[in-house]
Amino acid sequence: MTAPPLANLINELTKLPGVGGKSASRLAYHILKRPMIEAEALAQAILDVKTKVFRCSICNNMTDVEPCAICSDPRRDASTICVVEEAFNISTIEQTRDFKGVFHVLLGALSPLKGIGPQDIDVNGLLKRIRDGAIREVIIATNPNVEGEATALYIAQQLRSTGVKTTRLAFGLPVGGDLEYADQVTMSKALEGRREI
Amino acid sequence: MILKRLTTQTFRNLDIADQTFHPHANLIVGRNGQGKTNLLEAIYFLATTKSFRTSRVASLFRFDEPGLFVSGIVERNALDRALSVGMEMEPRRRLLTINAEKVPLADYVNALSVFAYSSSRLDTLRGTPEDRRRFLDRGIASVSPGYVEQLTRFQRALKQRNALLHDIAAGAAPSFTLDAWDEEVSAAAEPIWNGRRLYVEQLSQTFREIVAMHEYHVNRIELVYRPANGVIPRGAEIRARTSLTGPQRDVLDFEIDGRPVADVLSGGEQKMIVLFLKFAKIELFRRRMDDEPLFLLDDIDAELDLDILQELLRKLPSQTQVFATSAKERFLDVLETSPHRRLVIENGRVTSAQDFA
Ligand SMILES: [Zn+2]
Repeated sequence: MTAPPLANLINELTKLPGVGGKSASRLAYHILKRPMIEAEALAQAILDVKTKVFRCSICNNMTDVEPCAICSDPRRDASTICVVEEAFNISTIEQTRDFKGVFHVLLGALSPLKGIGPQDIDVNGLLKRIRDGAIREVIIATNPNVEGEATALYIAQQLRSTGVKTTRLAFGLPVGGDLEYADQVTMSKALEGRREI
Repeated sequence: MILKRLTTQTFRNLDIADQTFHPHANLIVGRNGQGKTNLLEAIYFLATTKSFRTSRVASLFRFDEPGLFVSGIVERNALDRALSVGMEMEPRRRLLTINAEKVPLADYVNALSVFAYSSSRLDTLRGTPEDRRRFLDRGIASVSPGYVEQLTRFQRALKQRNALLHDIAAGAAPSFTLDAWDEEVSAAAEPIWNGRRLYVEQLSQTFREIVAMHEYHVNRIELVYRPANGVIPRGAEIRARTSLTGPQRDVLDFEIDGRPVADVLSGGEQKMIVLFLKFAKIELFRRRMDDEPLFLLDDIDAELDLDILQELLRKLPSQTQVFATSAKERFLDVLETSPHRRLVIENGRVTSAQDFA
């Protein structure tokens, strides 16, 4: 029988995405073998993200300062907003080092099948930023799959009356793909080749 | 391309363990119910992850078995590749691999190309509009590797739009995102309509050429493609809670003087038309892909014009690997007089395999 504390850890680990029973137990045994200091660091890191990280009130990015490091950076061009579905998409675009503007995280994409409508993603926050500030361009970088495309079209329709230039990334990515899996070169090209919609 | 080896696990009644095949012709004999057709099904399944006899994959599972597995070695351009399809019934899961690496369906189906003819299957002419759309889609997928992905994208967009129509009708969602979904569905529908239009054009022409070449007496058949691209008032779609226009409602008809072929032709004539269509599909594949597909021939019966069938087979390039079943000991001369392997199937197992030069 597996000792209850060990079984407990394995059980918690299987709740993580992509972690099955086998890898959970491999991870748990690994943690058990490592020095105490590593286990403490891991546990502390998990607690820290939960207590110290929150959403930026401007762009919804995950941050530990308000506003986030990107929104508060004076070198960034606040008149260009790149719209992404999730906070982790920001790093995909940041790795290109080509983008100097700021972000807006939608917190999802339209999906009637999952019951996700416009009220469930933060388009209103984006519209408010456009009304309040001098925005020259909105680059829509939602995923190149069905839901991401429909979301891009919806946002473009909402922005039409504002007169702000609205562009969409040009993907050499297979349609149906995910921003997450785009490498640096692909992302750079997608940014550079963006087209008005 | 050549299928060199095949293994099956709990696929119908089959128990094929690393069976090797002849590069040219494989003649499969055995009494009825021993698994001859199942062997062809397994090859078709390995290539397409589908069945050629039914749209229901569930029928491929062995009774009381939760999963099935088929694997094989395919040689193409002097390169061997290992293919495998694993499927679980409940929940429905599918694992496709090429050389032990997991691959998406759109990539997988390009690895092995198979065309199957069964004289007992006349769905193309007698079946539902959906059967004919499937006939078309499978043909297009064989010559345009990107089509499966385009079709998947369209079906996903359509499903989303239908869910939205349903919610709007139920008062559970606002209607103002419908514009965005309309645009997305239209964008996804465009390549499907283009692909189908072009393929019907090419297939019609090739079909006519083949019929003329064999001087078959039924030679006025027209393939009529009617894309469902009309404009439907939105209110009607909301009331119906589903999309009433789009590729999912396209129609492909086979007509003689404006009448459905299935109403005009005899059973034997219909079998011949389906056979000619199959060879037209193969011809399109060969022209486009510069390669020879596998050809599966099941259920050859007396209603077929065997002289023409032999002529068609004789005209296939010699590199075409053929798999044919027969309940009798005798096969078509064209297959028996050239080099081949004769495989005897008993109770789902290959009990003997003998080569004839
Ligand atoms: Zn921010």
